[in-house]
Amino acid sequence: MRSDPIEVAPWGDRIKDKSGSPNRNAAALAALWRFCRHKPLGALGGFIVLGLLIMAVFAPWIAPYQYDQTIPGARMKAPGAQFWMGTDNLGRDVYSRVVYGAAVSVTVGFGAVLLANVLATVIGITSGYFGGAYDICVQRVVDAWQSFPFLVVILSLMAVLGPGMLNLILALGVLGAAAGSRVIRGTTISVMQNTYVEAARALGAGHPRIMLRYVLPNVAATIIVLATIGLGAAILAESALSFLGFGVPPPYPSWGAMLSGSGRSFMYRAPWMAIWPGAAISLAVFGFNMLGDALRDVLDPRLRGGGGRPVS
Amino acid sequence: MKRYVLRRLLVAIPSLLIASLIVFSLPRLIPGDVVQLMLEEKAYGKDLDDLRAKLGLNRPMYTQYVEWLGQVVRGDLGESLWTKRPVLEELARRLPISLELGVLALLFAILIAVPIGVLAAIRQDSLADYAMRSMAILGLSVPGFWIATLCVLLPAIWWGWSPPIKFTAFSVDPWAHFGQFLLPAFILGIASAAAIMRLTRGTLLEVLRQDYVRTAWAKGLRERVVVTKHSLKNALIPVITILGIQVAQILGGTVIFESIFGLPGMGRFLFDAINQRDYPVIQGVNLLIVSVVVVMNLVVDAFYAFLDPRIRY
Amino acid sequence: MDQSASSLTRREMLKLGGTVLAAGAASKGLLAPQPADAQTPKRGGTFRLRSHVAPVHFDPHQTIAFSTMIPLSFAYSRLVKVKGGSAVVPGTQPVEGDLAESWERQGDNVYVFKIKRGVRWHNKPPVNGRELTAEDVRYTYDRFLKIKGNANRAILEMVDKVEAPDKYTVKFTLREPNAWFIDRLASTSTWIIAKESVDQYGDLKRPESVVGTGPWMLQSYEPSVRITFVRNPTYFVPGLPYADGVDITISPDPAAAFAQFLSGEFDFGPEYGMVIRRSDLDIALRRVKGLGMRDYIVVFGGFTAVKLDQEPFKDIRVRRAFAMSQDWREVLETNAWSQGKGAPNPLIPAALKEWSIPIDQLPAEGRKLYEFDPAGAKRLLAEAGYPNGLKVPVETTPGYGPDWMDAVQVALRNWKQGGIEADLKLKEYGAFVSSAIFGKFEKSIVTLRGGTTDPDTYFTPFLPGEPLNASGVNDPKLTEMIKLQRRTFDEKKRREIVYDIQRYASQQVYYGYNASVSAVGAWMPYVKNFGPNIGHDYGGRLMVAWLDK
Repeated sequence: MRSDPIEVAPWGDRIKDKSGSPNRNAAALAALWRFCRHKPLGALGGFIVLGLLIMAVFAPWIAPYQYDQTIPGARMKAPGAQFWMGTDNLGRDVYSRVVYGAAVSVTVGFGAVLLANVLATVIGITSGYFGGAYDICVQRVVDAWQSFPFLVVILSLMAVLGPGMLNLILALGVLGAAAGSRVIRGTTISVMQNTYVEAARALGAGHPRIMLRYVLPNVAATIIVLATIGLGAAILAESALSFLGFGVPPPYPSWGAMLSGSGRSFMYRAPWMAIWPGAAISLAVFGFNMLGDALRDVLDPRLRGGGGRPVS
Repeated sequence: MKRYVLRRLLVAIPSLLIASLIVFSLPRLIPGDVVQLMLEEKAYGKDLDDLRAKLGLNRPMYTQYVEWLGQVVRGDLGESLWTKRPVLEELARRLPISLELGVLALLFAILIAVPIGVLAAIRQDSLADYAMRSMAILGLSVPGFWIATLCVLLPAIWWGWSPPIKFTAFSVDPWAHFGQFLLPAFILGIASAAAIMRLTRGTLLEVLRQDYVRTAWAKGLRERVVVTKHSLKNALIPVITILGIQVAQILGGTVIFESIFGLPGMGRFLFDAINQRDYPVIQGVNLLIVSVVVVMNLVVDAFYAFLDPRIRY
Repeated sequence: MDQSASSLTRREMLKLGGTVLAAGAASKGLLAPQPADAQTPKRGGTFRLRSHVAPVHFDPHQTIAFSTMIPLSFAYSRLVKVKGGSAVVPGTQPVEGDLAESWERQGDNVYVFKIKRGVRWHNKPPVNGRELTAEDVRYTYDRFLKIKGNANRAILEMVDKVEAPDKYTVKFTLREPNAWFIDRLASTSTWIIAKESVDQYGDLKRPESVVGTGPWMLQSYEPSVRITFVRNPTYFVPGLPYADGVDITISPDPAAAFAQFLSGEFDFGPEYGMVIRRSDLDIALRRVKGLGMRDYIVVFGGFTAVKLDQEPFKDIRVRRAFAMSQDWREVLETNAWSQGKGAPNPLIPAALKEWSIPIDQLPAEGRKLYEFDPAGAKRLLAEAGYPNGLKVPVETTPGYGPDWMDAVQVALRNWKQGGIEADLKLKEYGAFVSSAIFGKFEKSIVTLRGGTTDPDTYFTPFLPGEPLNASGVNDPKLTEMIKLQRRTFDEKKRREIVYDIQRYASQQVYYGYNASVSAVGAWMPYVKNFGPNIGHDYGGRLMVAWLDK
């Protein structure tokens, strides 16, 4: 059993210490290198995520064809020189669709996670900060909201909102907020115990100032971890919803729709229609999870307890 | 301890009430008139109103909500708008199926996750640790419906064999009955395994850092003894708490597996009800799931408090 | 009794056929009538079928869902039915007497039926095997026409009164002549039900209330799981049915159902209409040696409805351009069910072989609609005042499945080539069905139609005042022609009028029609004398088939 302790000092402090000095960049790079060495799996995850982001942002340059462009005479072609991942039943290039699909997944993922975390942060911090009746009420609503299994809420929300990428982001975001708010609230409460918060209040700092300057930076670590893993969850959720008919609708190519739709219909005749988007989903989720795990270990070991019941 | 449980119970009631309000209003926000859906393209104006009145859908929302609450308290979950069968009856038939699937999936998850988590913690940062953690995460990364489709379709194409999908009730043939849950539960379990593995590894790592464990090492005890006898029990406490949450997730979230494997569970029941705007069914199932979750959480909290005296509020 | 299906009649059923656009000559050889199996029928065995939705309940007067009609087709009988057996060409609907010994039309409005004697109800409570009489028929149609919420009523709307002058005679008096009356009586929902069942149970929703005079009796129903039937020992056709029982398993997932078909758990193709997807055909042929197959064109197909009273579709040139920039061949080729095989639809679906006009018999403007001519479409648009093309919202629903969405994708692209920029607006299935189909949409919708097997029902969307008249058609000439063919009893003359209606409709383009796929009806080699056909009447087809295992 190894006895090397894992460096648990918040990376944030390290870099702040050297603020202003020209060594800032070097410190950041050094930190990155240390991260890669100590958490190779996390680094691998980060690498995958980076690749995904590049694919998403530079899709129009990377993809040889448009995502809805049908190439005449090229239906259901196996992967080859011209079409690296083959073509589908409509004659579209699977590789191009997978690349654009990255953009879709990233949009849905980031959108949902952004919304979820903004909501969660607002709810969590205010709840933990103000406490009292406000806290109790909000927590009851969050409790109620969280008792619903994920799929149940999502289906209802999607049925209410109707199909569409924006609606999907909205639904996933609102759903993800509940769980996150609990954790952030927990972190807020423990930050509040610190003396510097009391000191700031004694000096006459107003509520917003305290929340933003003192609580938020310390909660940031938690948010980052939640966001990273949430991204993976969002991508998986989209694929499950596609299977049920509530995912990202055409013409946008989503990996989930490719996998659960005609990919499944032609599974035996043209397996490449499903294998590549399926691999893309798996790789992306894998990457986000690995990165998230590593970040958690490094940024906030308190979270290592994972899903233990947050103290109410 | 009793005060703690009581307090938690008191706190749960407003949650349940709020949940019931959400449960009631959310489906009614879904656009699409249930009566028109029933009559489809043959709907004539007068028929619609008649049917609406017959189903009690033309009364104000508030009245319907209060009446429904009253029914619930008396143990009556109403009738399906479509079939007129009591919701409670259908639920009683389907809940055991979902529970079987969920519990079995969890069992698989634990069987896979705990050993991997323990080994990963012991051999922290070794190649084995990386490999096992990667595999566990991979299990949750591949969409479940995809694995399920492959498992069902490929054997049929290659060997003309498919796993049992025609549902057999327990009373008909107990072995066949359990047999049909094995494959879907396993695939479901793989997904949950990752979360449990993470938790096990994490908490075990923390426990192993404790002073009393270092004492055990210093005493020269063998690794196996240190881990199993002294550390594991404490490490597993948080794991138990996550189980409650997992069961809840599984209860309502199995519609995909129920569809593929032909299991008449609650997931499919709810999904169809949402599509058909069958409000009493949606409300009934949601309320049941929420209640189960709340009770689960309560039980888990009580258990946690029982085991860990530090937690007493 | 159970939740899982029903109202999704349209959706679930049409999802299975759904492709629009495309045309393509149907494959010839397999459509020729095959001789009835000359072997001697064998008794015994159980037919095993798959349904992908569970019936909501079992009352044929309170739903139009095929998930209810299909199981009921095994247990009930009607006055007349469509013939079954492998000699029947799919798409034709030859009518024969079921409970009726004979019938005749007296004048334009009166039909008199003579019931077979000695027909016994199933020996099940509360009817307990008594003899069926004309009074039962009268009671049935009385309830059919009067009960609230019977969406099937439109089928027999023309009936003014039903009388039972004596024990074995039934007399129908129609409000106005309708040459389709007999065909309507042969559809699935017009079964004869028993008064005792309704009296005892209040309605016919429960499985216990299913007491009929059909070849099999409903034995048990496990909600969402299976429906089982057992032979009716006192069935009024001696010797039938050959099979001892029928087993319908409810299996929602198509991939799983296909796997079960391959592993021999079903005797018939698992999809609606007892078909398999053509893209799966070679796998099936490899696994099942001697697979029985028959191609037939399904009755579902896509159609487009537009707002006729607003720009831009007020202008017939725009409507023509809309239709001309559709490539039905491409849709058929890209679809998993058809893989290129199918047929374009005029007003009457091509599946109804005897009434659907061949495309080459349409007038020139009508024929042009079925040729993919984006350049021509652009020209028409320019003429109509849209030289730079047109942007128009098109609503549909993803609820028909991924195959449908693929077809919509092809349609979108085709329209673009013709200068029409379609702004796709998606609605959730339930919301779509309960509004758009009834005319509550912005400019245009594209959706599926199908399910009924008599041509007259396809004229309904053209009659002003009908809820299904989504486009808002009000064309007196057309209305008159439709009414005329209902009054024309001579089949040849009626066909001419029906053809004329289709010709006229193709020039007016009130609705656009897309192609229907040619599906592969499939069954195990040991099933004999089975002929797939359109419509829900599985029981009628299976009662003359047998298992030779």
